Amino acid sequence: MTSFIIRRLLITMVLVFFISIVSFFIITLTPGSPYPWGELDPKISQTVKDNFRKQFHLDEPIWKQYYLNMRGLFSGDLRSIKDGRPVLERIGERLPATLALNVCAIVISLSFGLLIGVYSARNAGRWPDVTLSVFSFAMLALPGFWISYLVIIGITGWFGTPLLGTSSYGTVFPNAASQFLDYAWHLALPASLLALGGIAAQSRYIRASMIETLGEDYIRTARAKGLDEETVSYKHALRNSIRPLITGIGGLLPALIGGSIIIESIFAYPGIGRLGYQAVLERDYPTLIALNFITAALVLLGNLLADILYAAVDPRVRLE
Amino acid sequence: MRAVKFLIYGIPLLLSLLFLGAFWNATQLSTSRKNELTIGSLGEPTKINPILSTDGAASQVESLIFEGLLRYSADLELEPGLAREFALSQTTTFFFASPEFALAARGILLGLADRWAEWTLRDVVADGRELRIDLVQPGLDTSRLIADLLTIEPITIISQVRAELGKDARAMLAAFRVAHPEVDVVREWFDYDAVFEISVLGSGASISKMLEAFLLEQKVETPAVKLLDELNFLAEPVVRFTLRDGVLWQDGVEFTSRDVAFTFWALTDASIGSPRKPDFDLIQSLKTPTPHEVVVTYRKPFSPALGSWTMPIIPAHILEEKPIAWWDEFFHRNPVGLGPFKFAEWKTNEFIRLERNPKYYGGAPWLDAIVIRTLPDPIANRLAFETHQVDYWNVDPWAVKAFQEDPRFDVFSAPAKQYNWVGWNLRLPVFQDLRVRQAFAHAVNVPDMIKYVLYGNGVQSTGIFPPMYWFANPDIEPIPYDPDRARALLDEAGWKVGPDGIRVKDGERLSFKLITNQGNETRKDIATLVQDNLKGIGVDVQVEIYEWAVFISRFVMKQEFESLVLAWTTPPDYDAFQVWHSSQTNADQLNLVGYNSPKVDRLLEQIRQEYDREKIIEMAGQIQRTIYEDQPLLFLYVPDSTSVVWKDTFRIRRPAAGGEWLDTPIEMTKAGWTYYLQWFYRPEYADKLPPAEIATP
Repeated sequence: MTSFIIRRLLITMVLVFFISIVSFFIITLTPGSPYPWGELDPKISQTVKDNFRKQFHLDEPIWKQYYLNMRGLFSGDLRSIKDGRPVLERIGERLPATLALNVCAIVISLSFGLLIGVYSARNAGRWPDVTLSVFSFAMLALPGFWISYLVIIGITGWFGTPLLGTSSYGTVFPNAASQFLDYAWHLALPASLLALGGIAAQSRYIRASMIETLGEDYIRTARAKGLDEETVSYKHALRNSIRPLITGIGGLLPALIGGSIIIESIFAYPGIGRLGYQAVLERDYPTLIALNFITAALVLLGNLLADILYAAVDPRVRLE
Repeated sequence: MRAVKFLIYGIPLLLSLLFLGAFWNATQLSTSRKNELTIGSLGEPTKINPILSTDGAASQVESLIFEGLLRYSADLELEPGLAREFALSQTTTFFFASPEFALAARGILLGLADRWAEWTLRDVVADGRELRIDLVQPGLDTSRLIADLLTIEPITIISQVRAELGKDARAMLAAFRVAHPEVDVVREWFDYDAVFEISVLGSGASISKMLEAFLLEQKVETPAVKLLDELNFLAEPVVRFTLRDGVLWQDGVEFTSRDVAFTFWALTDASIGSPRKPDFDLIQSLKTPTPHEVVVTYRKPFSPALGSWTMPIIPAHILEEKPIAWWDEFFHRNPVGLGPFKFAEWKTNEFIRLERNPKYYGGAPWLDAIVIRTLPDPIANRLAFETHQVDYWNVDPWAVKAFQEDPRFDVFSAPAKQYNWVGWNLRLPVFQDLRVRQAFAHAVNVPDMIKYVLYGNGVQSTGIFPPMYWFANPDIEPIPYDPDRARALLDEAGWKVGPDGIRVKDGERLSFKLITNQGNETRKDIATLVQDNLKGIGVDVQVEIYEWAVFISRFVMKQEFESLVLAWTTPPDYDAFQVWHSSQTNADQLNLVGYNSPKVDRLLEQIRQEYDREKIIEMAGQIQRTIYEDQPLLFLYVPDSTSVVWKDTFRIRRPAAGGEWLDTPIEMTKAGWTYYLQWFYRPEYADKLPPAEIATP
């Protein structure tokens, strides 16, 4: 097991290196420039442009730019072209809000996914299952931004409650509890909408897995022993049915800090997704490079974690 | 098993309860507002520093916390700001072969004392072989006149030479002066350390050669040495600013000329890399004789340069001798200014909060704070406005009518400082015939376009200056929609209708591509309408749409296009040189369509040297008319920019003549409806204000 993990970590490192090269070229060779001024600004002279390129090493050969960016990233000194601040600081200051949103979304999608999955499986084929299946497919199929707009328009139209950003601005709160609930409200709505797709997917996995398990011989044995249906479902069947849920946790690792550009933009929520989107629009290469690198590393680590968890919950799997 | 059931049922139940509680709380929040103005902004500033930022979001914040020596009035004219007053003059310097000649020339001028008033001449000084005359009115006309009178004495020619080296310009020039002491350099100026321009006594050709040879000897790779001009005299305009007394930075330190000198240094130094530098490239020197005086000397007459002094001043006592990384870390997100509002808090991607500056020299504002919220989504912006989370909204054209008809809102609308156009690439033979371009102008139904694309919120453009500017020409009639006239013009130009309905001349079909950028629905609509209108007169147009970066880099800046849809934003400045002069038609320059008119070239050069307001209006009017008549662009429209505010949210109480206070509803000015922001107040907080005369509309 240990040697497996070490070997995988080494492979991961090599992979991250290659990913960083490829993504660096994709980012920097995209048309467009990181100039802070418009391309058609008549007031910018050539010397100002040259000076800017020199300041940010854009006049160096591309391999050297890659080297300088990577060196900056690892020494923590990589600075955004836009505001001159270290990119790790820019990412770091958005981390709390992003984590709050994504943890919340993950908790919602796992807990409701489990609830709906188990409930559907136990009622497989009857009308509650059919209704929930239709709901799940609808949530998977409908675009998140569309649902979000409907929800926002509905809530603001009928109740007139503020829901953008992380708190209601300009209002005087009567007490701390009200302020906390206001914060929770501003978190709950985007998190729920972000979780909709997750709920739908998780519930389908668990439903399928549980229906399969309920057909196993040992379940028949348990029922034959005279155990009541609740014990059979929750004690015997569930344990073997939540494997997809546990192994799926590895895949959630990048989702923890990766954001949703669309939900964050619509809700004006200050997360990392918007930072990345803004960086793409502004061609802020250092920020993009750092975000790409971190995401790639997390995806690979998530895969590793999934493999390890898989072995942990299923004794039939051995890691060689 | 209980734990398992809790996991499955309990957690979702708890979450649902929390959700409902939070929702109930949100519905119970008080709707009463603080004494603040909240603005929704799609973007977030990159850094708050007027000499470095170029984005609209940053300049919105900067305009509230910083100020310039000059500013634009409600009518978009220059008026004193931090400078109490400013005075123009000009020093014209003649060089003679020897001091005796200079003295003799002075004698000639002293003998003509009766004409001094007409010339606005104040003083004549002979200093060695230099003769300096001091004129009240800058410009070239008087100096030329005097030069003609003085040519009886041997005036030395002054050559202006420019050398582009890329680096080490200062060291190279110093070395050149040592190596060639016989060359008399009377002025030098550096563009960073990459370029220098010198004024030298004597003939330009020989000096250019000498300099080029020297640079090659010094192993400078491909030096570009250019003789710019040969002159009889140096005309150097001077602007004297007298600064206000008792203006304080928001940390209590007094504002002085040192801040102005520092701002000028920061604008022009390579380590800072300000994109605003080119506006200040014509300055020879900036001197601060006293803490309340600033004297700026220009290298040549250039009247639009005055507008660059609306550039906000930054504090020397904080930024001086700090590296740019320090600015980024400690100033750009925590700036200190001297405007009506001061910086209080910035929560990244959420809001920027500015508070009243009680020590503002122009009087403390009524509002406690201005909050600029970042709301990146346009629909979210509107919803934030409707739930009172922001106080106004910039309405899309299609929604304007609904708000105007709704009595709950005030709608403020005014022409935007831009014009939209279709450009014809005049490098191509098809577009070189004026009759063809006129035909296109008659064929495109601009009033309908305004009606359907802008929902009526705009006016037809009559050329390169939008109507709100004092120098715009109000007498130009827009070209009317007249497809029959268009057909006649094309017939006249030799384009006859061919077998497939498309016009043909010498075997060539009248067919071309019209390109524009992705992501701008209005421009796509324009392209479609133009395509349709031109089809009606037998012209085949293919519309192609490209992503912005590709559109700009592959087509526009290389000027490899046939026709395109774009818009120009116009500053309150009559200098249109870069967009219309025939010297600006190369790749990466901005005369995109390749317009070339000797008449307009001459006017564009003259207007830059003209300081007389009436003459500027006259010349700008001629420039606008000539370009409009030449139709290098199909001028479409100036769109309206519209904001909507909940009715009676704010009123204005501002000082009027005679120490009285004038109380009015929000007023629309040429500079927008927020021009009097400093004097905005919420009626529910009116008891804090001094009593006022209530103006009735």
